[in-house]
Amino acid sequence: MQIELISFGKLSDFIPNQNLEIEGIENTDDLKQYLEKIFPELAAMKYKLALNKNLVQQNSKIKNRDSIALMPPFSGG
Amino acid sequence: MSEKKIKNIFVDGAITPDFIARSISNHSSKTDIGGHSIFMGQVRKDEIDGKLVAAIEYTAFEELALTKMHEIREAVFSKYPLSCMHVHHSLGTIKAGEICLFVFTSSKHRKPAIEACNELVEKIKSELPIWGKEIFADASHQWKENS
Repeated sequence: MQIELISFGKLSDFIPNQNLEIEGIENTDDLKQYLEKIFPELAAMKYKLALNKNLVQQNSKIKNRDSIALMPPFSGG
Repeated sequence: MSEKKIKNIFVDGAITPDFIARSISNHSSKTDIGGHSIFMGQVRKDEIDGKLVAAIEYTAFEELALTKMHEIREAVFSKYPLSCMHVHHSLGTIKAGEICLFVFTSSKHRKPAIEACNELVEKIKSELPIWGKEIFADASHQWKENS
């Protein structure tokens, strides 16, 4: 299946926005593991996910065409 | 969630002293107000490893930020007896010395206005998906971290 990956802040320096083809990944926990493998810098960083513009609070199921945002700690204001 | 319209807090570029002055004078007709509280965030010319911050470039996950801000707004309105609440946050490049955040609360008496304003600023900084990139004079950058 294909997901849309968007990244913010520091993460946008090394993870470009992209459509990502993934197989065998069913939920956000799996996806984090997968992304930390292809972007090793991510594993050492604090970040949160948003699934279709909702903050992911617990492991959530991913469907084809979902949009996933990668968000480092906020620094507004 | 209530059916109130989600307000846009984002402003392109710096928040000008003129805008702030107008916002204050807009309240002169609301004569039940007895106290206003205002917070303004200003871009600081920090020195980091011998380099000076020239500007901060703000980006946000706007839709998520506006939904979250709506929840914060509702929660603060139900906690304090406020007459008015205004929040404006800059996006884009804001130079050192310019205003990037403007929070304005009004109430019959001073205490709710002051406490609500403080609470809003803390929540805006910790809960809204907004990021600041500190741009140095030589065009290099580092991502800001909130203390």
